[in-house]
Amino acid sequence: MAKYFGGCDLGSTTGKAVILKDGEVIASACIRSKIDPIITGRDVLNLAIQQVPGLDRVEDLARLVGTGYGRNEVPFADENVSEITCHAVGAHFCDNSIRTIVDIGGQDIKAIALSDQGSVLEFAMNDKCAAGTGRFYEAVVRTFDVTLDEFSELSLKAKKIVPVTSQCTVFAESELVSLLYKRNSPADIAAGVQLSVAKRVFTLARRVGVKPGITVTGGCSKNKGLVKALTKTLRTEITMLPMDPQMMGALGAAVLASRNGHKSG
Amino acid sequence: MKQPFIPDFFCQLIDQPVNTLVDQAQAQGRKAIAYTCSYVPQPLLSVDGLFPIRVRAPNVVGTPMADTYMSSVLCSYTRSILELALEWAFDSIDGWVFTASCDHLRRLYDNLEYLNKPAFNHIVDLPHRSGEAAEKWLASEFRILADALSQAFGVDTGDQALAKAIKVHNQYLTLMREISAMRMEDNPPVTGAMFQTLLAATSSSPKDLLMDQLGELRDTLGKSEGVTGYRARLLLAGSHCDDPAYIEVMEKTGGLVVAERTCTGSIPALSPIPENGDPFETLARQGLENISCPRMMESFQQREEELLEAVKEYRAEGVVLQTMKFCDTWGVESGLLTKSLRKAGIPVLNLEREYTMSSEGQLQTRIQAFLESMGK
Repeated sequence: MAKYFGGCDLGSTTGKAVILKDGEVIASACIRSKIDPIITGRDVLNLAIQQVPGLDRVEDLARLVGTGYGRNEVPFADENVSEITCHAVGAHFCDNSIRTIVDIGGQDIKAIALSDQGSVLEFAMNDKCAAGTGRFYEAVVRTFDVTLDEFSELSLKAKKIVPVTSQCTVFAESELVSLLYKRNSPADIAAGVQLSVAKRVFTLARRVGVKPGITVTGGCSKNKGLVKALTKTLRTEITMLPMDPQMMGALGAAVLASRNGHKSG
Repeated sequence: MKQPFIPDFFCQLIDQPVNTLVDQAQAQGRKAIAYTCSYVPQPLLSVDGLFPIRVRAPNVVGTPMADTYMSSVLCSYTRSILELALEWAFDSIDGWVFTASCDHLRRLYDNLEYLNKPAFNHIVDLPHRSGEAAEKWLASEFRILADALSQAFGVDTGDQALAKAIKVHNQYLTLMREISAMRMEDNPPVTGAMFQTLLAATSSSPKDLLMDQLGELRDTLGKSEGVTGYRARLLLAGSHCDDPAYIEVMEKTGGLVVAERTCTGSIPALSPIPENGDPFETLARQGLENISCPRMMESFQQREEELLEAVKEYRAEGVVLQTMKFCDTWGVESGLLTKSLRKAGIPVLNLEREYTMSSEGQLQTRIQAFLESMGK
């Protein structure tokens, strides 16, 4: 019987699942986190499993690895691994030229330095403040009354940059309101927001060292305006991964499940 | 990781800023003297009915008042102590002794003097270098403190009384060293969180009222089963860290803390004090040669060697270098130490923290990722 390996990443904002067979991704799913991490885990795993004919239950996975904030809560998981290791493994599995990862998730920013073999050399993480993360963008787009995708597109249309000085989510929101009321162009303010986040990422990334072969993972990697601002602050091209970068944690967990599963027989 | 446990007697002593043993000793007419830094000589605060308590700020909820008076860019240990002092949590204490070891503690002394003036509040000046001249200077500072204590509390702080206090203090240090030595075993019967509980409990209580329990605990631990199933042995270094809960998070994740090279840890606080010679000069020499705070100048190499030696002695596989936010002395030191440790092939995790534990999830992620990066 074919062996299926699962990875489940229960993040602060979304739950992700990936299923691997013979080293190939055959199913994946991503849902918004629910109040109970166990329900998020169960639902997202079931969504992925439904895509695989012949696989009926989570228990039928040969091995399942949990990661993310809720890594201890993933139902039926055989082990849990930190999201830092999982993002490293996932990104390196997708593209073995990756040496630096910037993971911008729902409430964390992490910079991870990788060895040539894809193992974690060093990492840095923001403190409890959620400035510049997904939660920050959710507050920002509320002020702009647009969706996240629209905000990203808007920032790309900027002719100049209106600086946004507040890093704090709460203060930034009120600063944005006053900038909008001063009749600054929304696109230019949006570009200012992207640059302020990119600067925050810059200081974190410099702590681990920015080596060429840098990629962005996590939900905020879908924000093209932010990725563009990051190429400016980090002064290097960002490598785009061949798979949805938001899924890197779950993919890394599934890869580790398959490595450890094969090892244990 | 399977963990042994520590008796409730010790755990309860660290729940309150001033514990019941302090109340008990004061009811017998003894005087409690608060201190905040390892350079304050404990035996001198233990003469003739006095007893030292190293103040902590358990369960402090925010520091809004202290932030206003001290500014929020000072270390949160000092702000937390001031906050509790302004909530009258330490009003039952009979006196305070500070050292001018860092600017943050000096500001705590100033603010306490200005806002909630203790009946006895004394600050000891402290040289930045060791050596004969510095020892003489510090010994004379200790004599000034002794005279002030004698005058304020009517106690005998003479050479003989101090020599006796050193002898008694050494008995406590011996017990703690014996327990600490058990941490060198493959499966130590005492975890880092347990040891920190003991350190915090014993240093914030009149020691004579818990020596029997400490002796019993040493005997019990000597026969106990050790911790099993941990992923790596870690050494904790850096600023003031008197909260066992912080170490517990590391240990829950599988990193067993086998020694602490912090302001409040096992190294070098438990070194025995020589019992011969002039007791004031002995205490001065002991402080300057042993405490090794990064505030001291021209002694980085000594601190570096001590840390590398401790890693070897306790067979630590990695070092967690934690600095309290805004602690400038350890902030500068940690960058240099990180380089030295990595050069010696020792994995290092740098953490910045506040005095009060928060963001447990993030701390756990960092520790877990560190252990994973060590291949554990």
